[in-house]
Amino acid sequence: MMVTEALADILSEFEDIEDRTQRFELLFDLAEDVDALPPEEWTEDNRVKGCQSQAHIAVRIEDGIVHLRGGADARIVQGLMGLLSLGMNGQTVDVARQVTLDIVESAGVLNSLTPSRSNGFRTMYDMVIGQLREA
Amino acid sequence: MVDPADFPILSRTVHGEHPLVYLDNAATTQKPAVVIDAMDAYYRQNNANVHRAVHALAGEATDAYEACRDTLRTWFNAERVVLTSGTTEAINLVAHGWGRAVLKEGDAIVLTEMEHHSDIVPWQMLAKERGIEVRYVPVLPDMTLDMEAYEASLAGAKLVCVVHTSNVLGVRNPVERIIEQAHAMGAKVLLDAAQGAPHSRIDVTGLGADFLAVSAHKMLGPTGIGCLTISQAAFDEMQPFMGGGDMIEHVSLSGSTYQTNEHKFEAGTPRIAEAVGWKAAMDYLAAVDLDSEHQRLLGIARWTAEQLRSLGCTVYGRHGDEDSAVVSFLHPGIHAEDFAHLLDAAGFAVRTGHHCAQPLLHRLGIDSTVRASFYLYNTMEEAEAFVARVAYVLERFGR
Repeated sequence: MMVTEALADILSEFEDIEDRTQRFELLFDLAEDVDALPPEEWTEDNRVKGCQSQAHIAVRIEDGIVHLRGGADARIVQGLMGLLSLGMNGQTVDVARQVTLDIVESAGVLNSLTPSRSNGFRTMYDMVIGQLREA
Repeated sequence: MVDPADFPILSRTVHGEHPLVYLDNAATTQKPAVVIDAMDAYYRQNNANVHRAVHALAGEATDAYEACRDTLRTWFNAERVVLTSGTTEAINLVAHGWGRAVLKEGDAIVLTEMEHHSDIVPWQMLAKERGIEVRYVPVLPDMTLDMEAYEASLAGAKLVCVVHTSNVLGVRNPVERIIEQAHAMGAKVLLDAAQGAPHSRIDVTGLGADFLAVSAHKMLGPTGIGCLTISQAAFDEMQPFMGGGDMIEHVSLSGSTYQTNEHKFEAGTPRIAEAVGWKAAMDYLAAVDLDSEHQRLLGIARWTAEQLRSLGCTVYGRHGDEDSAVVSFLHPGIHAEDFAHLLDAAGFAVRTGHHCAQPLLHRLGIDSTVRASFYLYNTMEEAEAFVARVAYVLERFGR
């Protein structure tokens, strides 16, 4: 599952932090590194449904390389986009596809990822993976 | 206040060593040990199906199940009490059991913008099926119902459905006046008391409420059970909408006849252990002075609201003398979802989102709030710790 060094490093950093509030601080830092999808490009197609916040994520594949851009009004959601980006951005489709939902469990920032719970991250992940599968 | 030690879950910690501060009581309340023990003892000692078999356990189970109904009948001073899965099923029972029997194309019903989705969607479904007009009473900027618009909406209406106390705002509606005016115009009234019943004794016969819907789990009881109280006059107009065992008098291949009592609306094996648990919860509540508790909790809510305002939050609600201890708020510097995660990280359980009241939030011009809701076991010290955590989150993470 550990596909990029950058993702492995950040997950290791998360795992070293015991205090949950500090983990959120790190996640909020990741939010700043997301390639921005400006609000004028927010569409119904790239909206993350089931998310409490306004969240949009767009996948572009050029020459077999994945580019993720996103934007959300909740920093936690944008931070989760940052986490996905570390595993996928600039990677080949094959490498990006290997990123799994486990990364959020490893980061220890969400209480539940079960499908029955309204969960923006799962939806976001499914949107991205779905597009990578079609590529 | 009640002794928090009566509630086993309140002694646990979350996310490491953070003591749990449970402020999501408008979603569901915690259960005292007497409720947990009663359900455990039922399964260990008395478990059987109700109403039919003659053996000893069946008799004990039937008595225990019907004791819950008797307790509720007395508590609410109700003529009829049908046990349901909760408030949602109770409202659906009115829509399908009474609405389908009585309402016809062109009839009107009155709802309000303050309703929970469970008091909107069943009516929209019925309206679509039957060609019924649905009128909505607006919410004013002071977060109360527009009573002039309400009065104007009553002409020709057959039913008024109104939330007793808002799950978002804590605002307690003037249900006495609402019922009086509805009855004067010939309309029946359904009160959604999911939030109101846990905070005060409601006398449905005294009020004249034709229907009252309640959930056990919001008043110390188990999940999966609630009730609908029904006036005898409304009960006589209803037809069953779920068919099955227990609700019939006689079944032949050419047709069936139904029970004439509440069982008519309780098809299938009912929630027996849950009824036992709810009875235990009601007995526990009966020993609590709800009036003085209401004042204590309201005092905590008012103090919390004032502190949050001083921290730059917008608080939605007015905390009038009869309102519930719910504090919904937002801060411009931090998203509600971020707020809730950061509160949870230190052990504070609150709710965020639209609280299943999207039309109300739309009227308020927002799409979510953070909601702290207090109940019998909450303390002023917990409120102080909560406000301190909010201040910390704002200082460290606010923009």
